[in-house]
Amino acid sequence: MTITNATFVIERQLDASPSRVFAAYTTLSAKSAWFKTPSDVEVLNRDFDFRVGGKERFRARWASGLVTDFQATYHDIVENERIVLVYDLFHGDAKLSVSLQTIELRAEGNGTRLLHTEQGAYFSGGQEAVDGREHGTAWHVDNLVAILEGREARAFA
Amino acid sequence: MIERLSLGPASVSELAQPLPMTLSAVTQHLKVLEDAGLVKSGKVGRVRTCTLQIAAMAQAERWITERKCFWEQQYDQLEAYLAQAPSTGGIE
Repeated sequence: MTITNATFVIERQLDASPSRVFAAYTTLSAKSAWFKTPSDVEVLNRDFDFRVGGKERFRARWASGLVTDFQATYHDIVENERIVLVYDLFHGDAKLSVSLQTIELRAEGNGTRLLHTEQGAYFSGGQEAVDGREHGTAWHVDNLVAILEGREARAFA
Repeated sequence: MIERLSLGPASVSELAQPLPMTLSAVTQHLKVLEDAGLVKSGKVGRVRTCTLQIAAMAQAERWITERKCFWEQQYDQLEAYLAQAPSTGGIE
């Protein structure tokens, strides 16, 4: 088992006030309208408790048969300003990573600059023995194609 | 595109041919894949050839790239949601 530590940052300029962006995170109905997987993915567990110490879970079975499990705990919430959470991601029974995710909302002009910083410990090695060789790259490509098809579907809408 | 590239390198026009998209839309999608490090392209004369990089990437790197793609896509969906969701009546 080897561990890779890595950080990535996503920056978005959103055409909505920080309060509207924050509201999109705070209730299950609002969050479900955008935090979602392609329609051919079967949702197995969905828990949502948006408060410090509260937990969120999104467990789903993809078309390839892969079951992904996102398990998060909220660590810090400042209304209209920031959300900090820690999440584990599983593929089947294997834990892929533990990540600290910081979402900052900054008013900018009439909109919001969203900064998403994700610091993670990614585990690898021994994965093939757990999943079997036939998975490996295949599930990854399946997921990626699904993600990109979602992106394309929206571009055509 | 990924499926086609998993069979071997292809030119941009070969990638575009089966897709119901304009060549410029295909080029934009390729740029996303290139920025994510999943595809490399090089130009020989007037032909740009694309090669899938996924097999060459370390497992952890693939997971990180996949994760970043996932969150980027969620934010695309957030943008679409904010564009159609009614304002809550607060001061915009």
